Amino acid sequence: MPVSSIVKLEKLVGKRLRRREDPRLITGTATYVEDVKLPNLHHAVIVRSPHGAANIRSIDISKAQALPGVLAVYIGKDIVGVGTVPCGADLPGLRRPAHHILAQDRVYLVGHPVAVVVATDRYIAADGADLVEVDYDVLQAVTDPEKALAPGAPSVHPEWPDNIAFTFHQNGGDIDAAFAEAEVVVKQRITSQRLVPNAMETRGVVADWKSNDRSLTLHTSTQIPHLARTLLAGMLGIEENRFRLIAPEVGGGFGSKLNVYAEEALMGWISMQLGLPVKWIESRRENFMVTIHGRGHVDYLEIAAKRDGTILGLKLKLIQDLGAYHQLLTPAIPTLSVLMMPGLYNFRNIQAEIIGTFTNCVPTDAYRGAGRPEATHGIERMVDILAAELNMDPAEIRFKNFVRPEQFPFPTATGLNYDSGDYANTFQKALDTIDYQGLRTQQAEARAAGRFMGIGISTYGEICAMGPSVATPAGGWESATVKFEPSGKVTVLTGTSPHGQGQETTFAQLTADELGVPIDDIVVLHGDTSIVQYGIGTFGSRNTAVGGAALFYALQDMKEKVKKFGAAMLKTDEVIFEDGHCLDPKTGASVTVQQIAGAAYRGIVIPKGMDPGLVVTKFWEPPNFTYPFGAHIIVSEVDPETGQIEIKRYVAVDDIGNQLNPLLVDGQLHGGAAQGLGQALWEQGVYDDNGQLVTGEFMDYTMPRARMMPWIESSHTCTPSPVNPLGVKGVGEAGTIGSTPAMVNSVVDALSPLGVRHIDMPMTPEKIWKIVNGSKA
Amino acid sequence: MKIAGTAKLPFTPERAYALMQDPLILAKAIPGCDALDKTGDDEYRLKMKMVLASLSGSFEGKVRLTAPDPPNSFRMLVEGSGKIGFMKGEGLIKITAAPDAGVDITYEGDAQIGGTMAAVGNRMIDMTARMLIKRFFEKLASEPA
Amino acid sequence: MIANSFEYSSPATLAEALGLIADGAKPLSGGMSLIPMMKLRLASPEHLVDLARLPELNYIREEHGELHIGAAATHHDVENAPLTRGKCPLLAETAAHIGDIQVRNRGTIGGSVAHADPAADYPAALQALEAKIVLRSASGERTVSTADFFIDTFTTALEPGEIVVEVIVPVEPGLTGTSYQKCLQPASGFAIVGVAARVRRDGDNFGPVQIGITGLTGTSYRATAVENALTGKPATEETIRAAAAHAADGVDANSDLHASAEYRASLAVSYTARAIRSALSRSA
Repeated sequence: MPVSSIVKLEKLVGKRLRRREDPRLITGTATYVEDVKLPNLHHAVIVRSPHGAANIRSIDISKAQALPGVLAVYIGKDIVGVGTVPCGADLPGLRRPAHHILAQDRVYLVGHPVAVVVATDRYIAADGADLVEVDYDVLQAVTDPEKALAPGAPSVHPEWPDNIAFTFHQNGGDIDAAFAEAEVVVKQRITSQRLVPNAMETRGVVADWKSNDRSLTLHTSTQIPHLARTLLAGMLGIEENRFRLIAPEVGGGFGSKLNVYAEEALMGWISMQLGLPVKWIESRRENFMVTIHGRGHVDYLEIAAKRDGTILGLKLKLIQDLGAYHQLLTPAIPTLSVLMMPGLYNFRNIQAEIIGTFTNCVPTDAYRGAGRPEATHGIERMVDILAAELNMDPAEIRFKNFVRPEQFPFPTATGLNYDSGDYANTFQKALDTIDYQGLRTQQAEARAAGRFMGIGISTYGEICAMGPSVATPAGGWESATVKFEPSGKVTVLTGTSPHGQGQETTFAQLTADELGVPIDDIVVLHGDTSIVQYGIGTFGSRNTAVGGAALFYALQDMKEKVKKFGAAMLKTDEVIFEDGHCLDPKTGASVTVQQIAGAAYRGIVIPKGMDPGLVVTKFWEPPNFTYPFGAHIIVSEVDPETGQIEIKRYVAVDDIGNQLNPLLVDGQLHGGAAQGLGQALWEQGVYDDNGQLVTGEFMDYTMPRARMMPWIESSHTCTPSPVNPLGVKGVGEAGTIGSTPAMVNSVVDALSPLGVRHIDMPMTPEKIWKIVNGSKA
Repeated sequence: MKIAGTAKLPFTPERAYALMQDPLILAKAIPGCDALDKTGDDEYRLKMKMVLASLSGSFEGKVRLTAPDPPNSFRMLVEGSGKIGFMKGEGLIKITAAPDAGVDITYEGDAQIGGTMAAVGNRMIDMTARMLIKRFFEKLASEPA
Repeated sequence: MIANSFEYSSPATLAEALGLIADGAKPLSGGMSLIPMMKLRLASPEHLVDLARLPELNYIREEHGELHIGAAATHHDVENAPLTRGKCPLLAETAAHIGDIQVRNRGTIGGSVAHADPAADYPAALQALEAKIVLRSASGERTVSTADFFIDTFTTALEPGEIVVEVIVPVEPGLTGTSYQKCLQPASGFAIVGVAARVRRDGDNFGPVQIGITGLTGTSYRATAVENALTGKPATEETIRAAAAHAADGVDANSDLHASAEYRASLAVSYTARAIRSALSRSA
């Protein structure tokens, strides 16, 4: 056996590598659903309700059918044998409206699909959709969840006149004792407005049914290819093993594609009816109207505390605007809020009541942070309100209440078990970075000069790495396959479905380090159910912490396998595996993994008890969630004349455990902060009383722009997670969670000399102007 | 959306009231009105084409005149729908003799806009409504006394 | 987001274009407002005539102490041309505030002016500059003042068959200070209010001043009450504040999701003061 010279490869984990995905994304050469072209492809356009609530008197499709190029027009009663849109969440007594893929005799929201026109091209389909005449008997809609709960409100679903989908209680500890012991109680109503996720790529579906082998291929822009396949197979009544679902390049999701949508089943059904491939691409207008929204909370919060600032307990009444239907996880999202309501604080008593409320709006569901931003905003606002009530410094009150390092693992009042952390240390680093004491001095000077300067603190905790299967509706494990090809190149198949997170890069970094192969020899594949073993998908900041951990274990198994082949090839019992080589420590002889791969496939040397080939698949179940945390501080100044807010400084210290690629971590935190500031300052999904979405496109819905972003001074502390072997916690949502309350707290702090205790989001200049001028008057 | 405002007409209250009850006059004054056909005691079928900047669309609907109190006040309802959306406005129109000459009109009511128009035209709706009302009264004012 | 089908013509000459427009075709000049409306099917013209590609309309030149700007000049051209930057900086500064860079690369001054969006940026500057607008149809040409051109919400002096072919602005005297101050509607980039100011000094006093305001009401206007309260008065902060307080006098302010009438009117006062202050600081 030849002795090769061993070249040490540079370790890549922890390096700021640029994403390998980016060249194709920024040169327009990636393949999104819209780029999928098939022979004889037909196009569908959906006719949607312009009314928030109406009975359908009649639908006349004759003119549309007569249009040359139109192949078929379907309405609700044509759809036979297709299941309703599934909801994977369950709560006791949950009312589940039948969510048909096309409206039956009534529409429940603006955008409700009423008919679909299939034509030889998209232009003809759109013309055909214009020719469908629907006669509506318009009913009174209700779009505000509190109005929906008021006596005499219009009923979204006539069968449930009170508009209540569920009432759910989550209690821990002894809330009565906490409030009995309280020396001070503060109360506040806090809202978290509807947000439109606005992925850069709208949704889209291409369905291709082949009747000869009864197989369906569905290309769809989703975060959960395998789960979507299972659920859609059930809806369409076809076998999973004859159903290939492909998530091609997916241009962002933020939770909005963690779902199964009517259009996915509808296109599958149409293709099966016509025996032709059919494409539907969601327009931006449709994306605003019918892709899930996020948030939609009205929270009534009460905190009981002692005069020294010690928090004793928290009461919460949470009214969740569910919209007209349940999408995949709609009712579960507010329960996540309650879980995280204790934040980083050491109190054990909580009483929460969630009232899930139907409205004539598009369903809410998971949107970046999914429940945690609402919780963090609630608790971080309440802590500031308590500090104001007690005339305490908001930093001091937080130090007083943090869970202490020696308390981990820390069981919370809501039944979670926080894994690790040193909250005070991270917070102190943020305070030092921004020179908190110096800022307070500056603030006093500014106030003396009549200026409105604010310092806003948010210390957040979040729950990531969704999650143990017991706590995740469809399973919370993840899978990975590692394959050596005979040439020694490596293919990794991950059950996650990255769509902007960059795992094609980070998983290749990890694989390169573990197997000692050049990163360019590694390909990471995902998103195709016929190529990749079953997986759960991408959401809940789980890709690296669960999918990466599964890959890590697969790589360890692979190394063991490689060592056995290496030992057989070197005719020895024990080898050392290092830098892509198996080395016999006794002789100094070695073979490369590439040589081993070739041998394993040729079957020349098969170690005893082993099979040929070099493939490992690992399914890994996480023992717990992970709990990243951090501290964000924002300095702002309000112009009292115009109400405009200027962000002066933004310091973020995040503890997300270990980092595979700090460049991508920065990207996640920056993007998350942009979305969090978007909620605090600009974004709002506004329905009028008749059910019209009046912020229904980018002319009125204010997305954060690059020019609106402050410089983010980002740094980290690191307490590795004990939950997974990589020590990672997850970073996909942290920025969104930490930023929002820091921004609101900053502006409330700026205006506190006027007696302001709370401002609801978004803090538009006009709102601020009214507060300032109202208090003057 | 609340709609309220005032206008001046160079008529006696009786003449102003009568003009606003006359379908032929209304048909001339309602911006873009193609036809106003009587369908009941106080109800007319309306066909109009709205052209405003680059936006254009045909609407069909109705006009109803109710709560007559000549020559002081009446209620007017206008509703229409078309491919680009739908609208519905309802309000009270009051006529009072002006101190100098003619009459002061005050109107107050609610308007609803729906469909594509509503979702994409938010910033234009208020000013457009006010301009259409202004045009309506300007046209009325050009009638002979 | 798919338009109805339509015919598109890109004629080689203005005469040809005017002929098509006389026959009922709709002019397209950049399409930054029209195309989105067509994609939503809020507008369905049957025939578009592209003016933006006409070389005859694409120029910026100086003649007899005035700048002549062809209707097809893009906002980017107006923002960056040495002639506008050097000789009519107010117009160049205003152009720089329009939409975003993509809009500025495609949108044209003629298209914007003819569209008369009540929240467009140019009208404020054109009012302050007392610009002239040249209109032409198949049957002739006429020139109207800015004050006469903008009539109401999306309503101008243009007659059927007539298009804007040129905008004429003065070459700014060297001593004049100008400024455009805009409160941006952050979603659309349109002006909630935009104020253009031209200020001459007269010793320690304000000399002649022109103020144009856009966004506040259905159409742009000259804030003459503000101008009158400045001219001849000491060029002080006190004068500016007192004068700017008249910015919304007698104006029926717009109200929408982004700004109520009351707030808009207040912003008009603030931004008028800013524009005067800034223009004053740039005057000699």
